[in-house]
Amino acid sequence: MINRILTLFADSKDLITKRMKNDDTYMEIAYIDSLCDESKISEGIFVPFSRNKKPFHDIVQFSSEFKPVHEMTEWSSSLLRGYVLIYIHSKYYSYDASRIIRVESQTTQVESSIQGPQIALTEDLKDGLNLIRNRYPEPSLSVEERTIGTVTKTRIALLFDSRRVNSKVLANVRSKLLEVNMETLHSAGELVKYLSGNRKHLFPTMLITERPDRISNNLAKGKIVLLIHGSMFGIILPVTFFDFMNSMDDRYESYWMSHALMIMRYISVFLTITLPALYIAIVSYNPELFRVQLAFSIAGSRSAVPYPSFVEVLVMLFMIEMLVEASVRLPRYIGSTGTTVGGLILGQAAQQAGLVSSIMIIVTSVVAITNFVIPNNAMSIAIRFMKYPLIVLAIFYGITGVVIGMFSYCVYLGSLRSFGVPYFRLPGKLIPSEEGDLGQVSSS
Amino acid sequence: MNRYFYYGFLYVALINIMLFVPNILLQNRYTGSISSMALAIPAGTLLALLFASSITKFPGKAIPEIMYEHHPRWLVSPVLWMMAIVYFLGSVIVLVAFSVVINRFYNPDTSSAVVLYLLIAASVYYSTRSTLSLLFILEMMIIINAPLIFFVLGKALFSSSFNWDAIRTVANYIRVRPNIESFAAATYIFSGYLNMSMVNRALPPNFRLKYRWLIPLIGTIALLSSVFIPIGFHGTEGVEEYLFVWSVTADSMKMEYGFIERVLFLYLILYLNLTLLFTTFGWHQAMEFIKSTFKSHTPKLDEDKTTRSNWIIGIAFAVITALYSLAVNEKLNFNIAAVWLIVRLFVELLAVVWLFILSYKQVRRTRTKRKEGNEE
Amino acid sequence: MRGATTRIAASLLVLLLLGGCGFKDIDKRLFVVATGIDNSGNPDKPYRITLRLAVTSPKIEPGAGQSQVETIEARTIAEGVRELKSYVDKELDFGQCKIFMIGEQLARTEIKPPLSWMIRRRDIQAISNVSIGYPSAEAILQIEPKTERYPGNMLFLSFGQEGTESSYTVTQLAFELGRRLTEKGLDPILPIVYPENGSYRINQAGIFNKEKLLTILKPEETQLFNQISNTELKSSIGGNVEEDPYVLTVGSIRSTYRTNKNDQGKLVIEFNIRMKGLLEEAPKMVFNKDWSVIEHHIATQYNTSVKKLLTKFQKLGVDPIGFGLRYRATHYSGDGSSWKEWLSLYPEAEFKVNTKITVEGTGLIK
Repeated sequence: MINRILTLFADSKDLITKRMKNDDTYMEIAYIDSLCDESKISEGIFVPFSRNKKPFHDIVQFSSEFKPVHEMTEWSSSLLRGYVLIYIHSKYYSYDASRIIRVESQTTQVESSIQGPQIALTEDLKDGLNLIRNRYPEPSLSVEERTIGTVTKTRIALLFDSRRVNSKVLANVRSKLLEVNMETLHSAGELVKYLSGNRKHLFPTMLITERPDRISNNLAKGKIVLLIHGSMFGIILPVTFFDFMNSMDDRYESYWMSHALMIMRYISVFLTITLPALYIAIVSYNPELFRVQLAFSIAGSRSAVPYPSFVEVLVMLFMIEMLVEASVRLPRYIGSTGTTVGGLILGQAAQQAGLVSSIMIIVTSVVAITNFVIPNNAMSIAIRFMKYPLIVLAIFYGITGVVIGMFSYCVYLGSLRSFGVPYFRLPGKLIPSEEGDLGQVSSS
Repeated sequence: MNRYFYYGFLYVALINIMLFVPNILLQNRYTGSISSMALAIPAGTLLALLFASSITKFPGKAIPEIMYEHHPRWLVSPVLWMMAIVYFLGSVIVLVAFSVVINRFYNPDTSSAVVLYLLIAASVYYSTRSTLSLLFILEMMIIINAPLIFFVLGKALFSSSFNWDAIRTVANYIRVRPNIESFAAATYIFSGYLNMSMVNRALPPNFRLKYRWLIPLIGTIALLSSVFIPIGFHGTEGVEEYLFVWSVTADSMKMEYGFIERVLFLYLILYLNLTLLFTTFGWHQAMEFIKSTFKSHTPKLDEDKTTRSNWIIGIAFAVITALYSLAVNEKLNFNIAAVWLIVRLFVELLAVVWLFILSYKQVRRTRTKRKEGNEE
Repeated sequence: MRGATTRIAASLLVLLLLGGCGFKDIDKRLFVVATGIDNSGNPDKPYRITLRLAVTSPKIEPGAGQSQVETIEARTIAEGVRELKSYVDKELDFGQCKIFMIGEQLARTEIKPPLSWMIRRRDIQAISNVSIGYPSAEAILQIEPKTERYPGNMLFLSFGQEGTESSYTVTQLAFELGRRLTEKGLDPILPIVYPENGSYRINQAGIFNKEKLLTILKPEETQLFNQISNTELKSSIGGNVEEDPYVLTVGSIRSTYRTNKNDQGKLVIEFNIRMKGLLEEAPKMVFNKDWSVIEHHIATQYNTSVKKLLTKFQKLGVDPIGFGLRYRATHYSGDGSSWKEWLSLYPEAEFKVNTKITVEGTGLIK
């Protein structure tokens, strides 16, 4: 056996092959050292074999830990999963001695809540299922497993509540998963990109989250969740625009505060998209929109700036984007330099040197801060991109362009569908006793 | 799902507060507008209710499908083409007129053609979306814009420079006989029910229109504010001098403690949104009518990808609009609008009466079918 | 095929970006804060146009308002404004101009041409304040008050309700003036701005007929006019009761009027005024006196002054309060004949004024 295994595998130091002999039997063992837990191997194989109190062959035959391997094609996949291959009495057996490196359940990194549960999914699929099952102990929770990725053979789990799930969406997802043709799959983001198909949407149509309580809520609403082994994020689909703007804190805080915060979030989205474009439109096309005092102070502060307003806006936005990108990658020890550079130099000094006007500094900082009010990271990046087309429209058409641009965004959002579910529809009914919904007669 | 009917009704009523209707009604204020308005309220409500109740007898079907079921193809296709042309022309007039308004106030240094081309390109994109998406967008836009418009109207009513005597003076002329121009203009405010002719594809079965009292209420408010608010601001004689009556009226209001002081700018933004909505729905309806006259077409509520026929018809519309704007100046546009309103009145009457007869036949048909079923 | 269509569509869409002609930065514009139109006495170029332009600075502090005044004589107002563009380096922007002043001499000859220019232009706000400048608009516009934060501020704040709400100042917005010039039954009235020690005095109003200025009211008459035509006005009423001067500060005045024909076919205009006020000036221990006596005396004196003012309007043949419009609103006789009736009835009309004053308190002392 060992010769054949050596031909199957490339020359690697951690592929250990042994020929062992005790009083009555001769055994060949092969395993990959880095994937196996040495203590398990010695406990389960070496020690009983060498002690030989009970004949080792009987142990192997009758114990359920040793599984017979029938096909030779299974040898490499078992070895690569951390199993030990044993050849004894001209039969092959495999023994599970895999060692999984897992990080202990950690607290939420990306989506934290102040007083809600703090635990997050981990990179192991089993731990994730454990956390979710604990929060959703319904017998109707169905878990299906697939393997995706021809090289990485990543295991993914498809979870849904079989009584509440939307069957059309489920069929859609299943067929899409069958068609996946990727070589490597490591993170939730790659799977999201693949599942959304060829269309390059401007907005994310699936929600990536690390919180098991959020997953449990969405399962109860009838959504489908995908978990990936090796990534600590899960995918929730189908979602609407308004799901991205809810943070879990809204359910844990009191009614008025959470609703006021929601309103603030929507205002921030509006500000972060339109403020630079409005600045250009008003300053260069229609300064009569402002009140008199404001118009004069803007005119005064711009008197030192040598170039037109849109150059100013683009330069400042570019600097802020550079700052945000760089602060993601700054090593911990240089972290505080980033804030100093951003705050003092870009802001104050640039204005005093006459490179930008003081109003522009305020506009830029408002834009940057309001961008991060959005709870979800994917949506926040999408919205960061949305202001640039509006700036182009504002340069050429002024306020008319900005209004038409915003309307176009609304139309685009309204025509997006996330797995067949409308993306931009106000949730709920106006009158709770209303029955029936749009599209019942002709669509299905 | 009642609310979708009322959204459709609302946006037509709101946009007509400012466009052609006040100009025509104010021109005729001493020669019969007021009585035409008083007549138009019950007439419009009656038409709307008739249409709504007739079309709910055909759940899930739009006018083309209904007509094709009951009449031969050679009769229905020209009628559909005529209706499509009437609605398309309406949107074209609105688009050209509004681009002039925007050009005057917001972008005075460019020619109005530039803004018009942008509006046309945007409308092509919007009208090629599927019907279901347009319904969601309608809801969203109305929820955002309608409160602000009511705020502007309310602000006008409670303004200190508002002269109620002038309104009473003109209201006295209700005793003058109505004329057809004003009647057509006044009933246009109620024309929002025609959106149902396309939207009915989306409505669920067993749809019954509730809160019917909203129709005369909204129509009356829209009609009265459209005519009387400019009179209250500019007096009984001065109101005839202005070309863009409502824009100057909006300019006469002052938001002293607001961020923008001139209400005109807020008002123009709201009307830009409404114009885009109006054009989108007008083109979409015309597009769907034209598509249904082709034999190979099956009506779909929510298409995954926008079909090529959508794009082709949309671009054809765009080209026609551009040519229209080159051929027509402001004065001619206004006259065409007055004539178009009268033509539209008759087309609407025809459509409502025809549909009513068809629905009556349909009800009788189902009743006899049910009787036969019971007997068996 | 698909790629080609998208590329053609994209290139056509780029053509839409050709429209950037209106782009002009805010610091390349010169804001006009006040415009003045005068008679120049030159028959070839009858209009003298003065523009007060704002010089902006990054600092906004009291006393930092600097302005530049440009004047030109021209055949028509529009031509004059266009020619003035060549006198300055930046684009003239009327978007923030909220003060329009017509010189007193021009007002005495004709007022319609300047107003129609104002209304026809799209960038002049319909809510701008129109006034008359004495002796001429140019003289008023050349005053630069030292306490202004930015140019034109003092004039902005004098009209309207943001700054001072004086009861001696009549405020007329451009659209109101337009309404009054065309309406049948309402005549124009405009405030008059006098220069005073480097600042302005606006406490008199001018009465117009449809063409020109007829007369200028005295300050007390102006306050009276304001009181009977506005409700939200803080004003004061004075009177003598038994040789003691009393002054009431009045918070709200409710005045209603009716125009009716009495039995002999003569027009009777009834004015009912209701006021509530606090005593501001009164002899001591007024708290214990009988207030109704005070109210009665002051009301009678008020009636007399209002009647005098209304008769003055009647003799001039003008109607700034709007009685004619009220008559048209309440008497309908088809085809505009109610207006002709009014024209014949107004010169003989009789005025009846009833005032009811309620003293609410005497301030902080008795």
